[in-house]
Amino acid sequence: MLESRIRDLLLAARKEALNRGLNAEFSLHRERSNLIRLGNSSVALSTYEELTRLDVSVQDGRKVGSYGLTADITSEGQLLEALERAAENCSAALPKDYDPIFAQVEEAIDDSSGFDPELESLSAEAKTALCKQVVDGLKPKGKYDFSGSWSSGSAEMYMTSTANENEAYRHLTDSRFVMVLKEQDKKWELSVERTAKALGAFSAEDVVAEFATLLPVYEGNQPYATETGRLRVLFGPQAIAQLLSLALWGGFFGRTWEEKRSYTAGNKPGDKLFSELVTIVDDPSHPDVFGMPFDFNGLRRRPFTVVERGVFKALLYDSMAAAKYKKRPTGHDLSNTDFVLSPGTGEPGIAGGLDAAGDALYIPHLHYIHMPDPTKGLFTGSSRFNAIRVQGGRFTQPMVSTRVTDTSPSVFSNITTMSSRSVSQNESNTYGRREPEAMSVPEWMLCDNVRITDVADSF
Amino acid sequence: MIAADKVASDVASHFDRMKSEGCSFADARLYDEDSSQRLVLYDGNLESNTSSIERGLGVRVLKDGAWGFAATADLAAVAACFDRALSNARAAAHLPGFPKDMGLPQPTTGSYRSPVQKDPFEVPLAEKLAFLKGIDATLEDKTIAQRIVWAAFQRRKIIYWNTEGTEVDRWVSNVFATMMAMAPDKDGRTHRRSVELHGDGTGTRGWEWLTEPKWFSGHADRIKSELAEVLAADPLPPGRRDLIILPGQGFLQVHETIGHALELDRILGYELSYAGGSHVRPEMIGKLRYGSEKLNCRAGKHQNSPGTFGFDDEGTPQRDYMLIDGGVLVNVLSSRTDLGEANELAGREVFTESGSAARATSFYRTPIDRMTNISIDPGNDGTLDDIIAATEDGIIVDVPVSWSIGSNREHFHFGTEIAWEVRDGKKTRVHKNPTYQGHTLEFWRSLDMVGDQSTWCLQQVANCGKGEPNQVMQLGHGVPVLRFKNVQTGEKE
Repeated sequence: MLESRIRDLLLAARKEALNRGLNAEFSLHRERSNLIRLGNSSVALSTYEELTRLDVSVQDGRKVGSYGLTADITSEGQLLEALERAAENCSAALPKDYDPIFAQVEEAIDDSSGFDPELESLSAEAKTALCKQVVDGLKPKGKYDFSGSWSSGSAEMYMTSTANENEAYRHLTDSRFVMVLKEQDKKWELSVERTAKALGAFSAEDVVAEFATLLPVYEGNQPYATETGRLRVLFGPQAIAQLLSLALWGGFFGRTWEEKRSYTAGNKPGDKLFSELVTIVDDPSHPDVFGMPFDFNGLRRRPFTVVERGVFKALLYDSMAAAKYKKRPTGHDLSNTDFVLSPGTGEPGIAGGLDAAGDALYIPHLHYIHMPDPTKGLFTGSSRFNAIRVQGGRFTQPMVSTRVTDTSPSVFSNITTMSSRSVSQNESNTYGRREPEAMSVPEWMLCDNVRITDVADSF
Repeated sequence: MIAADKVASDVASHFDRMKSEGCSFADARLYDEDSSQRLVLYDGNLESNTSSIERGLGVRVLKDGAWGFAATADLAAVAACFDRALSNARAAAHLPGFPKDMGLPQPTTGSYRSPVQKDPFEVPLAEKLAFLKGIDATLEDKTIAQRIVWAAFQRRKIIYWNTEGTEVDRWVSNVFATMMAMAPDKDGRTHRRSVELHGDGTGTRGWEWLTEPKWFSGHADRIKSELAEVLAADPLPPGRRDLIILPGQGFLQVHETIGHALELDRILGYELSYAGGSHVRPEMIGKLRYGSEKLNCRAGKHQNSPGTFGFDDEGTPQRDYMLIDGGVLVNVLSSRTDLGEANELAGREVFTESGSAARATSFYRTPIDRMTNISIDPGNDGTLDDIIAATEDGIIVDVPVSWSIGSNREHFHFGTEIAWEVRDGKKTRVHKNPTYQGHTLEFWRSLDMVGDQSTWCLQQVANCGKGEPNQVMQLGHGVPVLRFKNVQTGEKE
């Protein structure tokens, strides 16, 4: 549970809110984050941040106001001032035309199962040492430069409200390692990525070995510029996660569906949308994801099926959309979800994907993917690292940057087979607070008739 | 609360300690106040009504050619923050590369205040909401399915010190606002039309700017009527044609295919694992024909822009300089730290001074190379009407819906809210679902008309993302109307 010094202050503030007759919710986020950034085969920057953020929200009937504070929490006075500011914002607010749902912690949660103190204290020295092993292991073998980053740390998330005495708390650690090998003259880029919840999940030898499997294709073959048109594509984990994220964002959020702005707007639960190979579940209990046990409306998060064997099962409603459209919230008042695309029946390992593909484009990464028309599910993005032409079930030539412009319904309907083995794909960002997020996806997904719309003259 | 003066004296003593530890440079940024407020009306409902404040210290230490950074909100723990930054620098130095170097000392003192007449944080919340609600009421119509009106305010008091004796204090204010109307067409496909708070780069940037109808609220009726035209329009048929870009779209074209491509940290490969690299290399400076001779692009110092901040986060006074001159690449966006490395890679001294582009988004993020005001100079090809009159077969596009750019910024695909067809010198009809794509250098080299000052507009960017740990930055782009020849537009199926 949260450090008692801060927890006691929060509970005192909750008591004060009750004494004043305020409906108030308090959420606190505390992180310890360390990152090293590699560039040109050196560690160019090493950072450390220790931050505490408090968010207070007050609701009075149909009026809501909030206040946030990033500061060291040392006194009850700070919390009471934050409560006062939130109350002022609420007081001046415009009333909504619907009844908002007040946050209520459904059940007491105290979850530190994802916390590894050794990973939290992983030092910049240890990270640098591993990166040095990788650089020393590969740099002499070619004209290579290495870039990348390695973020690790811990996050604590806590919430309570005046609705009841329950508290929800979660403490976890996470790590994301990305290393990019760039050939100085030919300019191609290879990437290796690792996600971890605890210390010791990977080694320098692993990373070197993965680079080593791709290097001969890049070193020994001319770049390939494919023709445009509808082609067979073997997608890899990062690209699958990007496609899945876009398919969910564009199709399965309650608000956009209710407003007929999603590509599923003409459909309803029970309709067949995708290939029967596609089952999508938001599953915080899955071992590949970070598993957020509660949302910030206070709901206990449980496995939630969105698509089952290609059939539209349910939409995701945060409390705002649920209140507005008179639906039940589904535990999605949060940004770090836990989506799982169920694996298929294909042979595990990339060799299984290559065998299944025969001739195809292997696109494991998609860069800067965006939706020009969400109502069609039309997306566009371009290949990035590790993209390779596949011929006769073998990697043959490195691909130059290639643009895919297609629709989510088309891609997820044209899946022919997927790997039977899943991998964890880290989808975290640190634009705001440290909120680890990962998806579980098959390690490869083979799709026919994927629309390729442009090919660059460089990697 | 620990006062800024106390923090200043603590920082000074730790600067001495860092020097005695062998550090070649150290700096510290105190965000004495970082206030923000975000108000969102969605279909008239106040869906975000949040204000927040952050306060803390970020410390950067350069030792043995490597950077260490640490941040804390506990201003009683300044010593520990310096210790952590030093420890991080020592760790980084275990895998050395081209040594980071700040060059010759450049001690500076000064202060900067964003030009503001009426501080938005002094305006009562009820008054702000009444203003936004008034715009929402204008957008409300039975033909409009969804309406969004939002505004965001920032006020940052930042004090910067470094071991060279620099002391700079800044009070930076920003105001952002957007209104959007959405509605379905006869096929049930939703379309939108929007406008953001914009300007001409002059004047002040307080509450008075937001409430000047010319720059925001006065556009509500226009976007409603244009949305109605989009709803009744046919999709843009695919084909190659001339492309006329209004500033509402041009700013993003500049941002994605010039601005990001010219950030020195991207050019040197420090962003490869996240934001990406660049097709530009240091040796191309002074040689690369980036665009046609009509293209003149600068890192500007417009009076009223979020890309104007007085001094960057290394204390360097903000400069106004050309990036692309007559179509030739002549400079990039840089900070002090990477100039030596870039010059070595170029094989000659192409960079002699910082581009004053070291910027950090908060006290808990370290400065990185960032856009400031990346702007296209007005040309001499007349008004928008003149450019339309000179176009046989083209479209005019405005306001991005989607953007997707290659990882080295070498190619791109954009979708926009609206397109107007131009035939034989006349604006004829509206098309929906417009998109266009191209390759960066080929595209900018096809620039053949640049509008005059009457077409130039300052667009704000509130949320440019980059860096690890990730950072959001605010900046500006001043852009005239631009015409490009023979561009691939529309989707083939």
